This record gives sequence, C-alpha cells and structure tokens, in this order.
Amino acid sequence: MSKHIKSIAVLTVICAVVSLLLAATHHITAPIIEQQENAKTNEALLVVYPDGGDFEQVDISKYELPSTITEAFKSENGGYAIKVTVSGYQPNMVILCGIDKDGVVTGATCISSGETLGKEKTYGENFVGKSAKDYDSVDTIANATYTTQGYKNAIKDALNAAVILGGGTADLRSEEEILADNLNTALPQANGEFETVLLLESLENIDKVYTALNKQGFVFVSSENFVATNTSGKVLGETDATLKETVENAASKILEWEKNKIDLTKFDTMPQAVKEAYKNSDGNFTFILHGAGYGINGGDKYHPASGKPIVIKVVASKSGKIISCITLEQSETANIGSACGDEKFYSQFNGKTENNYSQIDAISGATITTNGYVTAIGDVFSAIKILKGVS
Amino acid sequence: MKKNGSLYTLLKGLLLENPVFVLVLGTCPTLAMTKDLISALGMGLAATAVLICSNIVISILGKFIPDSVRIPCYIVVIAGFVTLVQMLIHAYVPDVYEMLGVFLPLITVNCIILGRAEMFAAKNNVGKSALDGLGMGLGFTLALLSIAIIREPFGAGTFAGMDIPFLKDHTIAFLAQAPGGFLVYGIMIAVVYKLTHGKAPYKKEFSCDNCPSAALCNKSACKAKEEN
Repeated sequence: MSKHIKSIAVLTVICAVVSLLLAATHHITAPIIEQQENAKTNEALLVVYPDGGDFEQVDISKYELPSTITEAFKSENGGYAIKVTVSGYQPNMVILCGIDKDGVVTGATCISSGETLGKEKTYGENFVGKSAKDYDSVDTIANATYTTQGYKNAIKDALNAAVILGGGTADLRSEEEILADNLNTALPQANGEFETVLLLESLENIDKVYTALNKQGFVFVSSENFVATNTSGKVLGETDATLKETVENAASKILEWEKNKIDLTKFDTMPQAVKEAYKNSDGNFTFILHGAGYGINGGDKYHPASGKPIVIKVVASKSGKIISCITLEQSETANIGSACGDEKFYSQFNGKTENNYSQIDAISGATITTNGYVTAIGDVFSAIKILKGVS
Repeated sequence: MKKNGSLYTLLKGLLLENPVFVLVLGTCPTLAMTKDLISALGMGLAATAVLICSNIVISILGKFIPDSVRIPCYIVVIAGFVTLVQMLIHAYVPDVYEMLGVFLPLITVNCIILGRAEMFAAKNNVGKSALDGLGMGLGFTLALLSIAIIREPFGAGTFAGMDIPFLKDHTIAFLAQAPGGFLVYGIMIAVVYKLTHGKAPYKKEFSCDNCPSAALCNKSACKAKEEN
C-alpha cells in the first residue's frame, strides 16, 4: 500500500513542479508572444491600409454586418481593415480590404483562394481610392467573370460593414430586393409580381418600364423615380407635372405598340426564336427575337448556363430585307460573347436578305454566341413569309 | 578509449551509438525534418537542448522515482521541458518557431529522449547524463544533417535555401518526399554499420534489463525465446 502511495505522491509532486515551472515561463513569455502575434497581424493589415497605424480587433458579433464579414480591425485613424469571405470561381475566396474613415478603399488583397488565374492577388489594387459610389466601375478581369464579381461583392460588403461599424446605417438589401421594394411601393396592387416591358425604342427620360403580371398597370422608372400608371396609361397618385407628362407620353407609346402587336399564338408554325412581332404603320414588321447564345447552350459543369437569351430587335420590310437590327439585352460572357451587344457586330445585318444574312464576321472566341445570333436572324425570314398577307 | 570515460560518454552518440543510425530511434522527425538543412539543424538543436535538460533532471530524480511510475514521470518531465523550450523559442526566435512548426511539440514523443532517460540517465550520475544528452543530441543533429545534405541539394536543388545552379534544373523529386527520405536513411544505416564494423554495442542496450516492460513481464518473454 505504502508503495502505491509513494508512487502517487512522487508523480503528483513532479507534475506540480513542472506545472509551476511552465506557469512561470508562460508568465514571462506570453506578453512577448502576444506582442509578436499582434505585430504580425498588424503588418498584414498595413498592406491594405498603409496609414492605418495600430489596429485593434473588433467584436463583429455585436453588429449586424453582411454575413460574408469574418473579421474586422479598427485602425487608430478611424478606418477599418475588414476580412471578407466570398465565392469567386471557387468558394472561400478570402479578401482583406482596408477602408479609411471617409469610406475610401485604401487597399484590397486576396489572402487565400482557389481561383484559377492567380490574377486575383493583384486585382485588389484597382480598387484603391474607390468608394461606395464608384467601386463597381473597376474593369473586369478578362476571362474571370466569377472572380471579378466575387471581388466586387466583397468590396461592397466591406464598404457597408465599415459604415455600420462606424455607427452609421447601410442598405444591406441586394439590388434585386431594392428594386422589388421600390416597385411594390409604386404599385401595391400588383402583389409584387412584375415583368420587364421590352422597349422597342428608347423612351424619353424613361430608363425602364415594368408591367404588373395581374394587369393592374405599369411602373415607369425615370432617373430613380418609380411612377405607376393604370392600364390605360394614366398616372396614379400625386406626381410633379413634368414627370407626369413624361410618363404619360411614354405610356401612350407603349399602348400604341401593344395595339400593333401581332398575336403569334394564331400561327403554330412560327419559328422558335420569334417571341414578339409588330406590324408597323409603314407596313414593315418589327420582331423581338430570343437568340440561344452561351446563356442557353453554354456553361460548364461548375457554372451552368445563365438561361438568359440574347434579346434582338429586328425591323424588316415586307419583302424580306432587314432594315435595322439591334441587340436589346444580352448576358453573354463579358469581353467575349458580350461583343454581340456592340454596334459593330449587329449593324452587319442591316440590309441583309435571306440569301446573304449569314455572311457576317463572327465574334472571335464566341462561336456559340455567333451561331445563336445568326440562327435567330434566320428565323426572321421564315416569320415574314408566314405573316405576309396578315393585315 | 575507456568505455566508462567521460569522453566516450560524450562521443559515442556521434557514431558508435548514434541514436538515429544505430539505435534507430526518432525515425519520424528524422524523415520529416531532413528535407532541408536549416530545419534539420533547428530540430537537432532543439532536441539536444531538451535532451540535456531532461537527462540531468531524470538522473537527479532517478533515485526518488518508484519503478512503477517512472515512464509517466519521465514523460511529464520531458513534456514540461519541450513546452518550456517551445515557449522560449516562440518568444525569442519566432522565425525558428515557424520553421519547426508542429515538430517542436512532437519532440515530446521523440523516442531518443525517452530512450536515453530510460537507458542511461536513470542509472548514471548527473555529469555523465548531461554528457550523454549532449553527445546523443549532437549525434541526432549530425544524423539529420547528413541525411539533409543529400536530400536537399539533389531533391530540391538548393543548399541551406540557396539555389545550386545545375541541380536546380535537375532535381530528383523523389528525394524530397518521404519514400526518398527512407531510401537515404536506409543507405546511411548501411554506411554506418560498415564504418563501425557492426560492432555497435546496441545488443546490450536492448537487453531485457533495458526493456521498459521488464518489470511487468519478469523476463518471461526472454526466457521463452531462449527455450525455443
């Protein structure tokens, strides 16, 4: 028995002495180690915020920040260094962004990512000097749409976070949410369900027009103002006189288009790409085509196609000659297929007929986009043949 | 050279009883830290420091520690020293701390340290134990360096981090990986065996008397072996 007790006693004493020694060493070294770690973090933060001086970590759980914010440090100069985790081409792209007390980006760098290009490391430098107003204008990295978008989202969230950390309030709604809220305020009868009206011609001082899916009226967007009208184009509610006139002029244009619209459901042989057709007062036809570009036929296993077509407006004569062709909407790959939105490309179709419409210069590197576009244009000629004789 | 002399105690670790090549202890850190010379040197010196300290303390405590708890006692002492060294390195030479990384705390389970505590320090006086610790530590360092000096230039094309002109473009990637480490390790063991003419006294060191489980099995395993 005494042997066991001795064993226990000796082991206990040794443990106690060693613990004491460790505690003493820890007492001496801990402040030095902490200082070093802080200096290291500080050094990393100074890369994105060169005038930041000393930083102090902020407890972000106390604030309602965008969910992408993982860490935040307050500079002694009133600005912030903020760590944001977003998804680029791959998930978990970690970006460190410095923002001074005036909300101007002092630097941004990608700390870790699985991106494929490597350009994300230096891309952040382009944001230096930008603020909430103009960060979105930074050029896209060619061939890296997802990386670029992830970067911009990160900068946006960091800018918002800096405002909130500084005691202000920021609009954390996404662009879609802001739009939905604005539309709903303008025309509550629509129950929040709207569709964009395709504008055949640009309307004076009107940026966009939405129609209620339940046919309760229209909402016109004129430089940030949302104005609702009823189905016959009369402005609802109180608005200033000029704006009211602008909107009602626009509404009458839209209603005129509606009148000229041909009911395509009557023709079951109508080609696929033709979505809308109008008989103009001068006898020509206006077509709205949906071209199946990269948004429909492209994509890869990581990033499925967006599902968005290229929207094309074509005015053609009864005799089957294209008078004008213009791309209204496209969301093809930036800097590649997006060239289908350039006048240089679509103006090539002006004056073309059924015999020579495919003789155009293709967009280099964007076969799918070019093919989708040309196929859609080809459908115009068959559509004209079908519509001929319809008054 | 006298077998019991201080000089022999100090020098035997370098070759004749080299912990890595003859006693085949500490294989794990040997393979892990021999990719480049600098980390081999860092690991060797850190282990030497712990080895000397733990040998001294254990030779002092040897008389007071009951047999049944001696392994736990040794481990506590060794782990204590390793943590101490870790804290000191972290505080005063952070660059070395970063280089050694996870292998620093792993010195605790480096068999050389426990092995020397058990084989030597527990049975010898303080002075000899310290010399043994120093010798074994230097032997360990020497072994790491001798493997690293082959693996780094040929595996990575560098010498202590500096590029070697021709080798940089003609590296043998295999050597930089664990299997390559094993290969070099094996060759080194063969070379050392040749140098010592197979006279390394490791048989004695690994007898039943030195087996950590001797007290438990009462040499029954050895007896059974002899009868066969």
